[in-house]
Amino acid sequence: MLVFTRRRGEVIMIGDGIEVQVLRVGRDGARLGIVAPANVAVHRQEVYDQIRCANRAAANPVADLASLSRRLLQQP
Amino acid sequence: MMQGFTTSTTPIVHPPLQGPITATSVKPAHVVTFPAGLPGFEECRSFVLLATDDDTPLHYLTALDGPDASFLVIDPRNVQPGYKCELSDTDARRLGATPTTTLVWLALVTIESGGMVTANLRAPVVINPTLMIGHQVIPHQGTYSVRHILVQGE
Repeated sequence: MLVFTRRRGEVIMIGDGIEVQVLRVGRDGARLGIVAPANVAVHRQEVYDQIRCANRAAANPVADLASLSRRLLQQP
Repeated sequence: MMQGFTTSTTPIVHPPLQGPITATSVKPAHVVTFPAGLPGFEECRSFVLLATDDDTPLHYLTALDGPDASFLVIDPRNVQPGYKCELSDTDARRLGATPTTTLVWLALVTIESGGMVTANLRAPVVINPTLMIGHQVIPHQGTYSVRHILVQGE
């Protein structure tokens, strides 16, 4: 892993068009600003992991669709 | 609370298929390209939105490549009246969407152990039916639940 020391306002450049700027450093965390091309997704890792887990849980369901649809329609 | 079946997804829904679902068994015009796949299924780039035989608001979103991946999906407005999820400029660009594009919104449905059924309203799948490009968006400021309960367990 590359490790840099950066002060407030300083930037790290990654490849073509990705910039990570340190906006604020506090006791509990650092606030970062990210500039990235449209085809590069930027997410908090824990949020992305949560969606990945949810997708895996949703994949390839074994469902009796008729009964499931009936139950859906019966909801208040 | 169901509001009746919506027809907003109808134009791109493929009729029910019997037998194996492959890239050659679906009509090419119905193939939706997901340039980034889906989180957890990044290798799946081609999907089809399939109708089911049953009278149901549910469809299948089924991968045509990569590992086996088929999802039950529902229009989020069908389960959460007033559902509104803002597309970021980046997501709109990714989908090739302009402010006037009518997009297809889908929530992935999970049948959980114990029979509870939930829908992921936090990270909807959005499809631009004009370009047949899809993307699962993860808004940075999301207020909806990843496990919005549709049916309580038994």
